[in-house]
Amino acid sequence: MRSMKFKFYLLLFFLFIGPVLFLILQSFSEVWRYQSGEGLTFNLQSYQVLFSDPNIAEATLWSLVIGVCVLLFNLLIGLLSGKGLALYSFTGRSFLEALFLAPILVPVLAVAMGLHLFMIRIGLADTWMGVVLIHLVPTVPYSIKIFHNTYNQLGHGMLEQASILGATSFKQLLTIELPLLKPAIRSVTFLTIVISLSQYASTAIIGGGRILTLPMIFFPFLNTADASLMAAFSIWFALLPFFMYIVVELLLFLLPYTRKPWRNG
Amino acid sequence: MSSGWKNSGLMKSSKSKLWFLLAPALVFLILPLYGMFAAVRSSINGNQGLTFTYYVQLFQSERFLSSIAFSVRTSLVATVIAIIIGLIITRLFHTYLDKTTPRLSVWLPMLFPHFVWGYLVILLLAETGLIAQIFLVVGWIDGTGQFPVLTRDPYGLGIIITYVWKEIPFVILMLLPIYSSIPTSYYDLVKTLGGRSWEQFRTVEWPHIQPVLIETFLILFSFTLTAYEVPALLGTTFPEMISVLSYQWFYGGILEERPLAFASMVFVSIVILTLTLAGYFYMNRRRMRAMRGRL
Repeated sequence: MRSMKFKFYLLLFFLFIGPVLFLILQSFSEVWRYQSGEGLTFNLQSYQVLFSDPNIAEATLWSLVIGVCVLLFNLLIGLLSGKGLALYSFTGRSFLEALFLAPILVPVLAVAMGLHLFMIRIGLADTWMGVVLIHLVPTVPYSIKIFHNTYNQLGHGMLEQASILGATSFKQLLTIELPLLKPAIRSVTFLTIVISLSQYASTAIIGGGRILTLPMIFFPFLNTADASLMAAFSIWFALLPFFMYIVVELLLFLLPYTRKPWRNG
Repeated sequence: MSSGWKNSGLMKSSKSKLWFLLAPALVFLILPLYGMFAAVRSSINGNQGLTFTYYVQLFQSERFLSSIAFSVRTSLVATVIAIIIGLIITRLFHTYLDKTTPRLSVWLPMLFPHFVWGYLVILLLAETGLIAQIFLVVGWIDGTGQFPVLTRDPYGLGIIITYVWKEIPFVILMLLPIYSSIPTSYYDLVKTLGGRSWEQFRTVEWPHIQPVLIETFLILFSFTLTAYEVPALLGTTFPEMISVLSYQWFYGGILEERPLAFASMVFVSIVILTLTLAGYFYMNRRRMRAMRGRL
């Protein structure tokens, strides 16, 4: 049994923790060449170069703005429809469930190409709002599914009780649903921002190359930049979801019945 | 579960509330539905109305045919390997994975976009990458030229490695809740009857995980088949993944090639749709049979 545990941690290290550690190490050091006979030299140069790039601030900002908007849409759509699907039974429910999941199966590239002309016509091409809309396609289905599952687990008894006691829908949402939906909100935050950050092709098509997000500068960077710089850039990518996660976590503290760490008990 | 609720007075008064709840999602559906519709229309819209010339052109194109074969093979291999490894890890270690720290470490690759993980694979496995350097130090190879070409290779190995690595956490994410919810008494029963590990898997775990496995397969396969970023980073110019080819046709600046981009993407969508329907009907048939068996 002990050896199983050892094997597990070995696997965990090599498959998941090790690569990330390597990326961090690489970002803080110069590229290692065995032939040069030198050891690792540590410096912050790659981060300096990264942040001195005039585009990085703009791209980070746009990635965040777009990510936050995509997240808000996801929370709204996911929460409402997840609740509808879980708490009501109606004809065509399983068909609707399948239909809501379908957008992650169709190629986002096809949808982006198809919507491109339409977005030009209504003036959303080359705008950040257009990019937000196209990023909804690969994210919203996951959110609906996550909220659907969570509401399923919640059951309707809890909500029924609140409405019997006369709570308004808003009060019910604030005091019962949101506190219990915290795990779902966390997962949706995390998934949404990572998927939004992963979009290169769809952002390029709808944003027309004019909306500069992080992937838009990562790809051209690849040909010229050295490994340490790219590693620093890669770490920067992971910090964004991390940052969003912390912000959402802080916002969740505002919810009622949340155990505050600075309060005992 | 919802039968009491359904018949209560509360329910009847809130039929309109249901539509209020579902409206935003239904509005959202316009995006992918219209996008697909427009893509299909663009692929059959000729100068003189309806035409299938672009599809004919597509299937006469050597480049397209080798691309689609390459794409299907690469995604299939990557998806199947990711599922098998993810399944083995979940199966062997799900008791450890229930704890927070190991679970969060498994999710680590999910923090990064796919192409960033692809770049990591280049850093590790390129001919001048870390592994090659280590092999050199240890003395297994004499020069970095002896290290096998694993990235930007004609067999799509780099693409496969990236996707396998990046999707294992997703497979675990999908399977873990199921493994955690299988009652241990089921295992005890099989053990009492003398069943070994394989019988446990076949009789206890398989019926539970099979629907999720099919769903995971469909999500991963369709994603891998049509994503642009990783193949753009780790692929070669020939054969190229279908999304890279379509993107070039769409964005290459040659206007005559644009309908080909639409046609190829629509064709891939049809492939995925067919597979999904097959999986759906297969699962439904099984469910029907299981229900009949119970009655």
